[in-house]
Amino acid sequence: MPNILVIEDDDIMLKAIRNILNKDGFNVVTAKDGKEAFEMLETAEYDIVITDLMMPYANGLEVVSRLRNDSNKRNVGIIVVSSVGNEETITEAFRLGADDYLKKPIMAGELLIRIRKLLAYKTSKALFVTKRK
Amino acid sequence: MRVITDFFTKGAFWDTIAMFYQYAVFIYGTSLLMCYGLLAMMSLANIRRYQKKNANVDYNIIVESPLAPGISVIAPAFNEGVTIISNVRSLLTFNYPKYEVIIINDGSTDDTLDKLIVEFEMVEVEYAYREKLNCKPVKRIFRSTNPAYDKLSVVDKVNGKSKADASNAGVNISAFDYYLCTDVDCILDKDTLIKLIKPFMDEETSTTKEINGDIQIQEDYKRVIASGATLRMVNSCDVDEGLMIRVRPPRRFLPRFQEMEYIRAYCLGKMGWDLINAVPNVSGGLGMFDKEISIKAGGYDSLSFAEDMDLVTRMGAYMKDNKKKYSVKYVPITLCWTEGPTTLKVFGRQRSRWGRGLAQLMNTHRKILFNPRYGRMGLIVFPYHFFYELFAPVIEFLGILFYVYLILTNQINWPYAIILIVFVYTYSVMITTMALLWDQITFKYYTTWGETIGLCLMAFLEPFIYHPLIVWFALKGYWDFVLGRKHVWGNMQRQGLGAQKKITVSAAILLKDFLNNPKRADSLYMSKSIEVTGTVFDVDKTPDGKPMIYLQTGDNIGGVQCLFTRNANINKGQDVTIKGICSAYSLEGVVVKDCSLVK
Amino acid sequence: MWSDLVDLLFQAYERFSLLPLFIEIALVFIVIAIILTISAYASILFRRYKAYVHAKRIAFLSPKIEDLITEQVLLNENLDKDMPIESFEFDKAALDNKIYKKPEVRQILIDTLIRYRKNFRGEVGELLRKLYIDMVLQEDSYKKLKSMAWETKIKALVELTQMDIPIADVTLLPLTNSRNPTLRAAARNAYIQLSKNEPFKFFDIATEPILPWDQLEMFKIITTSKDIAIPNFARWVSYSTNKSIVSFCLKLIAHYDQQNAIPTVVGLLETKDHYFRANAINCLGKLTAESAEPRLVSMYNSQPIICQIEILKAMGRIASGKYLEFLKHEFLYSFNFEIQMNAARSIIKHNTQTSRAMLNELVETTNEDNRIIIKHCQNPLIKY
Repeated sequence: MPNILVIEDDDIMLKAIRNILNKDGFNVVTAKDGKEAFEMLETAEYDIVITDLMMPYANGLEVVSRLRNDSNKRNVGIIVVSSVGNEETITEAFRLGADDYLKKPIMAGELLIRIRKLLAYKTSKALFVTKRK
Repeated sequence: MRVITDFFTKGAFWDTIAMFYQYAVFIYGTSLLMCYGLLAMMSLANIRRYQKKNANVDYNIIVESPLAPGISVIAPAFNEGVTIISNVRSLLTFNYPKYEVIIINDGSTDDTLDKLIVEFEMVEVEYAYREKLNCKPVKRIFRSTNPAYDKLSVVDKVNGKSKADASNAGVNISAFDYYLCTDVDCILDKDTLIKLIKPFMDEETSTTKEINGDIQIQEDYKRVIASGATLRMVNSCDVDEGLMIRVRPPRRFLPRFQEMEYIRAYCLGKMGWDLINAVPNVSGGLGMFDKEISIKAGGYDSLSFAEDMDLVTRMGAYMKDNKKKYSVKYVPITLCWTEGPTTLKVFGRQRSRWGRGLAQLMNTHRKILFNPRYGRMGLIVFPYHFFYELFAPVIEFLGILFYVYLILTNQINWPYAIILIVFVYTYSVMITTMALLWDQITFKYYTTWGETIGLCLMAFLEPFIYHPLIVWFALKGYWDFVLGRKHVWGNMQRQGLGAQKKITVSAAILLKDFLNNPKRADSLYMSKSIEVTGTVFDVDKTPDGKPMIYLQTGDNIGGVQCLFTRNANINKGQDVTIKGICSAYSLEGVVVKDCSLVK
Repeated sequence: MWSDLVDLLFQAYERFSLLPLFIEIALVFIVIAIILTISAYASILFRRYKAYVHAKRIAFLSPKIEDLITEQVLLNENLDKDMPIESFEFDKAALDNKIYKKPEVRQILIDTLIRYRKNFRGEVGELLRKLYIDMVLQEDSYKKLKSMAWETKIKALVELTQMDIPIADVTLLPLTNSRNPTLRAAARNAYIQLSKNEPFKFFDIATEPILPWDQLEMFKIITTSKDIAIPNFARWVSYSTNKSIVSFCLKLIAHYDQQNAIPTVVGLLETKDHYFRANAINCLGKLTAESAEPRLVSMYNSQPIICQIEILKAMGRIASGKYLEFLKHEFLYSFNFEIQMNAARSIIKHNTQTSRAMLNELVETTNEDNRIIIKHCQNPLIKY
């Protein structure tokens, strides 16, 4: 069962995403701000991290950059879910290494599809890497 | 003695003077109290209006929008090494889509700059810097190599001995049309930028006019040049890494009085003035400004002792001189928590400075007073400040002297005197209590009713304890102004948020701690103000001629080195207690800098 | 006994009236101040008590409401099955719970539904709307629309637009001409979103400016509502006398990249208002209107700084390469620092072989100040 970390400071959204993902058979861990997120990232391994951008303690871009600069966690799939819609922020998120960007309001179905696609992509890439070795 | 008192008490001339004085003071006092009452009413109306207008506003709309205007956040820092990282971190987590954070290291002598460089992966960049506003030279400009911190710029500049100078440097490199001026040690709400930019974007403007039968839009544009919000004391609040967790009124009396006074000043004063578009000042702790206008008005004046009010005044005067309409807006929400002085000495220095600043401001801008050309500023704001702010302490002081004179000469009509005192007392309690009620209407910051009432009760003590202090320090400030005395701009000694305890340690244990467990010792002592006790082992001088001593530690190799900032009379073998900041540790030992001799 | 009291009061008044005026005034104020202070205390405590009760209710109700939404909407069995939303059925028993009959509970329910709608669109969003309708919550909102208080009316408008529930024109149109600017703006936003035939009617008739904050809301509604047919905004640029509407239309033209608006926008360059002209130039830049370039260059010298800067920015955006020499000239010979910076940025933005060669040449031949400007603009670490 894939592990997903959801970081989001709006508790309604946090619970909602957790419920939706649980229903689809994902293991979900939640964090309500940047500080908690970093603690959660220390304690366990995740296949996918879903993060908001504007949160207390540390913003989502920092989470993305920390994941991508950590050799152990570099391959975690990252989906940014945020209400920020300006082009600069979106490109910035991708530049830092986010795999996907969903603008709020989101479609629940779309989020699930993107998670599955990302998981499939990551496994195929991992297979490819091991084969090459 | 008798002859002298007789001369004063029995002369008809003196009777008239005394009579006249009594009535003048009564009229002055009553009109002042009426002004307060009026302000309270206007403030209530304005707070209600603000609440109704914004009850259904979706603030998130600006976060989503590509049309959000950019904002530069400018925060000067001087020797803030203890808290700089968490505070800058919290500045980087504002709820706003387009902003930059500019930290000005104003010639700090501690590790403020180093900490920033390490933590945020900063490098010096070649920066095309041009001065738009006067300030001391900028040495270097740093930017982060990590895109996650791409909002952050750090400016390293020569100390200008004032916040104004540092803020000007920040304005010089700011990229956006609006800038937020704050202090790096203030705790800001995450919605600060949204709440303060909104007044710039929804000032109701212009009317239609009929010209030659055609309906035409008459440009009647009122430009918002600044906006501000309420400040409170952070002293007893729970703060975690620059984030407000729980608001509490300060436990200690002095800052608690200040909290009460701040709430009164904002909920009663500024909000009332805002209703009639006559806000006199945007606090230096938190204010957003229109950059174009503030540059044209000349920016902050580093010689001013009230640089915040001075800037707003000059911006207003600039607008009026160019026949443009403007307004300064206030929002009745607390967005900023700042540390209030806890010792009488620091508090007194702050208030004397304010007093001096007011006198200086009235003097520099005296052409505005009663000048109808400057509209409300000339006819309302300045006269009010002149008569009721500047003169109040003087008149009050003279009034007390007069009372003392009356008592000494046994002329006093005790029942009447007591009635008058009770009148002033009950009225001032009422005004303060109302301000606190208005504050409760805007937002219930305190969690328990005990805290709320605890703050309200201060209103009963204020006239006896706090108010005389304010009057005294204000008079001292005026005195300084009259003498034109050089003022040493004392940097307020920070306690460090989350109240640090005083650390006292012997040199031997200090070194041992570092040798045994460097990591733990680091968190215990590093960058903190400590008191070290020990015996002087050797006395030397630093390259710039300041004393430098080594303390015996019982260890063969390592020592404790203390660097002094001022000359001190210390001899070998003496037992000493030294206060300083623990700044470095190497194999040779521990370095304590900025030292002074305690004993 | 009664007459004793009257007597006493009368005596007191007589003594009072013998006092000097200022003591009388003082006494009156003492009484007023004491009464007001006591009532302020009472009011503070009462407010706190009310807030406390309300918070308790919310704490009790929100888990129930969230559970309802989670079960009925988020975890609905029929999601992802390509069923039309209308045919979804909610669990009648859950919806009929009698706590949802109380008006204040219904208000919390509406607020919660709106919070969810802000986070979810698509099927979940539609289902949230259906829940709102099935619980007849729109009646509550309609009722608020009839309220006398304008802020309650706005609340109703916000709820109905958020839930995409139509409002009759007879109700909505009068509000769009309200004297209260906040209500007027809210009504107009509602009209743009809900009116199916002519959402942009106000662009024709509005005489007072649309405030920047209201523009944010309008922009969001226009760009996110899926049913709105996007018109040619150039229409208002040429006809409207309302500057704020024209400025707003310029932003929309740039957003929708309406190329056919270029000639109309070029027409605006004649306007006398500098800020306004700068907006038009900015719009041309964002449209990468190459055809307007010669015009911009020819007018350049007669413009104030803000317009000159916008022209330079526009040339960087258009990046046709035809005016690199012009940019170079401005960079080298302007006395204005901002102009130099923007000229350098625009050369860099071209990012062609010629422009890169020009930059290299400039770095080598020009003076130290100019070299730093180029280095500054080229530095990827400097964002703004």
